[in-house]
Amino acid sequence: MMRNHLLTLATVGLVTLGLYLLTQMDGTSGLLSALRLIFIWGIAAISLNLINGQLGILSLGHHGFMLVGGYVTALLMLPEKERRPFRTRLLSDWARDNLDLDKWLRGLGLDFIANSIDLKFIIALFIAGLAAALLGVLVGAPSLRLKGDYLAIVTFGFGEIIRLLPNAPEVAAFTNGPLGIKGIPGDAGTIWWTFFAFLFVLWFFTRLKFSSYGRAFEGIREDEIAAEAMGVNLAYHKVLAFTISAFFAGVAGGLYASYLQSVDTQTFNFFVTFFLLVAISLGGLGSITGAVIGTAVVVLVRNYGGFLEQPYPAWVGYLSGALLMLGAFAFSAYIRKTRRLRPVIETKHYIFGAIGLALLLVTVFFRNEPWMTQTVQFFGMRKILLAVILILIMIYRREGVMGRAEFSWKLIFGPREDIPSEEQRKQDAWLSNPELNPGASETKEDDDASA
Amino acid sequence: MPLLELRNLYKSFGGLQAISNVSLTVEEGEIVSIIGPNGAGKSTLFNLITGVYKPDRGDIFFEGQRINGLSPDQVTKRGIARTFQNLRLFTHLTVLENVLIPQHHRLKSGWLGAVLRTPAYLREEEKMREVALEKLSFFGPRLMSFRLHQPVYVLSYANRRRTEMARAMATGAKLLLLDEPSAGMNPKETKEITQIIRRFRDEGGYTIVLVEHKMNLVGEISDRVVVLDYGEKIAEGNYHDVVNDPKVIEAYLGRREE
Repeated sequence: MMRNHLLTLATVGLVTLGLYLLTQMDGTSGLLSALRLIFIWGIAAISLNLINGQLGILSLGHHGFMLVGGYVTALLMLPEKERRPFRTRLLSDWARDNLDLDKWLRGLGLDFIANSIDLKFIIALFIAGLAAALLGVLVGAPSLRLKGDYLAIVTFGFGEIIRLLPNAPEVAAFTNGPLGIKGIPGDAGTIWWTFFAFLFVLWFFTRLKFSSYGRAFEGIREDEIAAEAMGVNLAYHKVLAFTISAFFAGVAGGLYASYLQSVDTQTFNFFVTFFLLVAISLGGLGSITGAVIGTAVVVLVRNYGGFLEQPYPAWVGYLSGALLMLGAFAFSAYIRKTRRLRPVIETKHYIFGAIGLALLLVTVFFRNEPWMTQTVQFFGMRKILLAVILILIMIYRREGVMGRAEFSWKLIFGPREDIPSEEQRKQDAWLSNPELNPGASETKEDDDASA
Repeated sequence: MPLLELRNLYKSFGGLQAISNVSLTVEEGEIVSIIGPNGAGKSTLFNLITGVYKPDRGDIFFEGQRINGLSPDQVTKRGIARTFQNLRLFTHLTVLENVLIPQHHRLKSGWLGAVLRTPAYLREEEKMREVALEKLSFFGPRLMSFRLHQPVYVLSYANRRRTEMARAMATGAKLLLLDEPSAGMNPKETKEITQIIRRFRDEGGYTIVLVEHKMNLVGEISDRVVVLDYGEKIAEGNYHDVVNDPKVIEAYLGRREE
């Protein structure tokens, strides 16, 4: 127990140190922004995972909550001069001029907070979360009585309504309409606040998952009827999970808005939810670790997959295709040779390998032909790569990389409580085997018992 | 005052009268069996008591209080727990978690307290764990050691049934409604479950209403047997009187053509 806590602390310390060193080095801005995106989308993915993974409800409205968080943070943090160009119609200029955290804080005489952009940012994020959570209650309370596909459609509808609202002239005083809000101060959005928010989210959701409430959520996922019959109040727990999830979606939205330093209705379109769904299905629905892994894979492919879309001579494509096929053949041949049951490599595998080899030979022989040396470029290879990863995961490991499991030190160093020791195994066999244990049940065998 | 009292219950599904004019009282500490041919309305009766269905007419009283119209979770909070005919366990959760979830409704700490792990919450959690182990120990050591931490889907069928009963007990109920507790069990396991049900009453102090098809189990443990047929109560009494009742024989075997 103690050892595991120390290990966790040491890991967090090491990661923090590594991050600090990264910020001090030159030429790491690309990596740092990738990390920031992983943290931001990680928060959003973990919060979506609470509904879709732990509660087992398909919700497609997450981008709406993120958008609310983004706009609220933007509006609260926006400096005076950036507000001037806002068009206002029905709502007066008052809204535009007074929805300003800076003014509120100074009005309360808390100048020392107003002078620190970091503290202001935290407060703005918190308020953004609260606004999203309020919306979560409003959306969740009426719609969560629905189930399955119906709920998915309703949440999707609500998400889109929320997304399109900022365009309406009636709310343009707050949102500046389709033009969006630009010039959100970015200096509070350094990697540190994102990192700390991410750590907090990890801590919060892990604690929640391994509490009585987390168990109740998972009970609802496993069997709603049984959970209700066992005294779990379905409506309360669903709305609770929805609200918590919306709160952290709002926080993630605020962080993203401050990362981009601008926000408009296209920032949080449906593809945001779609992207998060891909991330959590890849990592494993219901697993916090999985949500982080999935997000990391998706962000890294998107940020560093650029080399796939560069122009190359055609032979590079043929060569990599051939090598991939040969590699796949070698891998499957190895797997099939080592397996215990029927270690056979089938004809189709040889055919596949032969095609790969033929392709390799073609590439080598015709390497100077014009159709081999012409330059080709494939746009969208990153998305194809993501799609292929997703397909492979769905075929070979449908529950995602982590399944429902979490990373824990116990998993690595033990002791594993669910695996019986030799002694326990013997005792168990003794209990369930009547020949070894004739006295287990005092009554004799009675074949008529089920008459 | 009887523990459970049904007064003139009616329930229909469209044109089908599933339950008509059923009255029943269950005293504290009794074991009452409900039998009847397939489609007689036994499971519907359970669903009415536990709040899954609302009765069309009639009242259900538990400890003197009217409970019809309450939702299933509220009924469970009042002290009625059930098992299901086709197991409805939380399949991917461990045995221990399965027995902890029914205690969740007694938790006084809020979700924030649970996340912060306040001392009050930790005490409650510890208590829940003790109760869970106590309920599981009704079935001897077979669910106790490493099985506690195994997911339910690796358990054998009999062990799943046992887990489900432990889960129903862990809700803190006084009245257990067991829907075919011995379904899918071999004769030896049926014997064992018979003894365990008796121990529920004698050692655990539970009152038990069960639906069952295996007649020798019914005959062995029931204080009283109620027979339903086409939604009506056609007989009630001790086992021997009921099985020799001509109306019951007719319901099960049909009438001889004169």
